[in-house]
Amino acid sequence: MTSGNKEIENPRGFGNPWLQLSLSVLCVFVSELLLKRGATDVAEPDSAFSWTGINGLASPLVWLAILLIIASFVSWLYVLRYVPLTLAYPLSRVVDALVPLGCWIFLDEWISAWRWCGIVLVVVGLGVVAKPVAQMEERL
Amino acid sequence: MTVLAFFLIVVSLLSFVVAQLVLKRAMEMSRGLSLRNPRIIWLLTVGVVLMAISFFLTLGLLQRFDLSYLYPFQGLSVVIITVMAAVTLKEKATLQLTIGTILIAAGIVLVSLS
Repeated sequence: MTSGNKEIENPRGFGNPWLQLSLSVLCVFVSELLLKRGATDVAEPDSAFSWTGINGLASPLVWLAILLIIASFVSWLYVLRYVPLTLAYPLSRVVDALVPLGCWIFLDEWISAWRWCGIVLVVVGLGVVAKPVAQMEERL
Repeated sequence: MTVLAFFLIVVSLLSFVVAQLVLKRAMEMSRGLSLRNPRIIWLLTVGVVLMAISFFLTLGLLQRFDLSYLYPFQGLSVVIITVMAAVTLKEKATLQLTIGTILIAAGIVLVSLS
């Protein structure tokens, strides 16, 4: 894997940065759903400070989400150590397709035809970005 | 959407973008230096503070908008971060990566507009 002009050898097993990237994405996906559910449960739209989101801390789901965010953050820092940001960040955006799907499945939010088209575009874009990575891993 | 909501979304987005660049720089430096190096600790602190600002602003916005509507605005960060990483961190941006990034960003915008 290259980062800038430096050659870096990726660790194997649990330390594999691609595995860590997957775990990071999974944690973000679950945390977003928990944040939405938790923030909605304790919403006080009339409160002057509600825009800050601080009152969301009253929800246990928000705290669980925070734990998952911390876990994803640690994994993400590890990924950044080995993978260029130009590659890691676009790949991590698979969560932009997963979150609307999660909203549809778990939060009963409606997804329009245009939104489905957008999700397909994200997935195709991820395929284009990920292809050279997959070829590189096959050669190793 | 009000002007205040749009402003908060932009602040949240920019905080997130700068945080990613700062954190990447810190982790690059950690390959050659100890994590206890004051400069690395400083960069990590700045990154975490910016991420926290972005997080709480997002939490406030989530109380007013559907997650499936609000979340894709953060997706614009794909293009911004990729460009900024290539410019400021001197990372390689291949044609394939650029095309993929544009497709992802287009998809995210489509999701957010629908």
